[in-house]
Amino acid sequence: MTTSLRNALIALGITIVLTGTVIYAVNYLNNARLAELKSIEDQLTIDTLSLDTQFSLLESAPCDSVASSTTLTSELADLGTRLAYTENQLGNNNEQVIRLKKQYSLLEIRDYLVTKRLAAACGTKPVTVLYFYSNSGDCSACDKAGYALSYLRDTYPQLRVYSFDYHLDLGALKTLIAVDKIRGELPAFVINGKYSNGFTTLADFEKEFPKGALSTSTPKKK
Amino acid sequence: MSVDALACPFIFIAIFFESFVLVTLLSKPARDARARKPGSATPLVAVVVPCRNEAETIAATTDSLLKLNYPADKLEIILVDNASTDDTPAIMARYQAHPNVTVLHAPERGKHKAVNIGIAATEAEFIGCLDADSFVDPDALNEIIPCFASHRVAAVTAAMSIHQPHNIVEHMQNAEYSFGITMRHAMASINGLYVTPGPFSFYRRSVVEALGGFRYGHQTEDMEMALRMQKAGYEIENAPRARVYTRAPHTVLKLIKQRTRWTNGFLRNTLGEYRSLVLNRDHGVLGMLILPFALTAVVSTALLFLLTISQLTLQIVRGIEVRLGVPLSYALAPRYAGFDWFYFPTSVFALLGFIAMVASLALVAYGRHLSQTPFHLGRSMASYLLYGLIAPLWLVRSTAHVALGKNQAWK
Repeated sequence: MTTSLRNALIALGITIVLTGTVIYAVNYLNNARLAELKSIEDQLTIDTLSLDTQFSLLESAPCDSVASSTTLTSELADLGTRLAYTENQLGNNNEQVIRLKKQYSLLEIRDYLVTKRLAAACGTKPVTVLYFYSNSGDCSACDKAGYALSYLRDTYPQLRVYSFDYHLDLGALKTLIAVDKIRGELPAFVINGKYSNGFTTLADFEKEFPKGALSTSTPKKK
Repeated sequence: MSVDALACPFIFIAIFFESFVLVTLLSKPARDARARKPGSATPLVAVVVPCRNEAETIAATTDSLLKLNYPADKLEIILVDNASTDDTPAIMARYQAHPNVTVLHAPERGKHKAVNIGIAATEAEFIGCLDADSFVDPDALNEIIPCFASHRVAAVTAAMSIHQPHNIVEHMQNAEYSFGITMRHAMASINGLYVTPGPFSFYRRSVVEALGGFRYGHQTEDMEMALRMQKAGYEIENAPRARVYTRAPHTVLKLIKQRTRWTNGFLRNTLGEYRSLVLNRDHGVLGMLILPFALTAVVSTALLFLLTISQLTLQIVRGIEVRLGVPLSYALAPRYAGFDWFYFPTSVFALLGFIAMVASLALVAYGRHLSQTPFHLGRSMASYLLYGLIAPLWLVRSTAHVALGKNQAWK
């Protein structure tokens, strides 16, 4: 065997080991991300159940749960950001991503329902937005709408945005779509119960919100 | 398919090649070459300096040759003016009286013609060529001569660095040249060199004559001669401590012009007259690995660069479109503030690219250590990071020139 051939074989071995190590490390990190998402979701599931139970226990003073609900919504938003990043990294066809999205959507629906119940019981006026998007190539304005909603959520903390993948195969989500009569072009929105769809500009979109809803002050209790 | 996915095989090949260089550096032939001591033999040598319009540097180039630690009666310096239109002939004339210096004139333009006229004027068996904008270290020749010990060795290359780098473009090239010192040393140990650069490469006269002398080589005569020697079955050696300093383009535009010419020459020679060397087992590592790798690197870098630019442009346009109407204070702020490992960008392409870059920097540092060339390593290595952004420009340009059959003037 010539020196060059021997060197080439050793170099090939080194390259394969390095590449294998890199692929392993990237997979390890991606799995760690998924594990962290799962862990956050598990925690949020407990928190949601806890809030639900707290709400039931405090029938006489349900409004003590408002603070917990607000914290939960904020944590849910953070989870959503992480999930979107992971989906971007691993692709929207990744089975684990789809499973986590389903769990996340369920948590969102539960939080949405708790928020509505708290609003009815305590007289708060939260601004809720149900946002239905699609990653299947049938929603050209979804990127713009998603970015605009991120901006609004970050700017107006009282805004509660719940994002749902319209095509996610989840019974509870299909029921929500049916109940809110979501149809036609995506993106679709339900802002404080009022349905609209399509997205042009942020300025036009802001007009869909109730007057005074987009202010930086915390909404007052009745 | 994303650019990342397309680039991964090429990054794999790049890491393989860098690993190959590292392994070769550790192998016995390279260790033996490093252990070679400056010799005591002092055969008659001649150094031919072809120059065209080099009034600014020709005196310093000649002075550096006159300071070589080599017996004066064994050293001939042949200055060949190649139809200069500036003060070069007048400056050369000042050296005419020097016993070691011969001044000649090559009225027809062409570096190869000037070199051939210089070779014809001497009886020396070992003939060096030195570009008129390069300056030699006093001990360089003593490092080179022992490399001719084997009769199979037809040429010996030196260790080039940039002469007094000042700006970032020159520091970047200095790092690249240092990388080249390592590469040349490693490749010479397995007879894989395909270029004998203008600054102080030496040739065995009998071989040059047997092969028909220098000829037009798509403005890369040094590469054409090296390929011809390889095709004829000779060996090309390297003296990693024979330091020579050359002036470099100090602007990006001049650099791109120079490198386009070099890459043009490489592509035209390799895909033209010397195509039979590529993937030819008879030519060992040069035919089976080095030339195919170099060709792949040129073409793939040019294509990937164009693809990256087009994708990046699309992403920027899309990014602007998505952010329209959102206040700039929000749109320009980082999406994920603060450090969170979760958002740490990890992809196979990025990590392999990082490994390839670290290996490149290690080869740059080793080149400095090997040649013992004094230069600011940190500054050169920092500038070297720009190389990846600029090099694709001349690779794209020269690939386009070759594809369209466009020629470029030497000077």
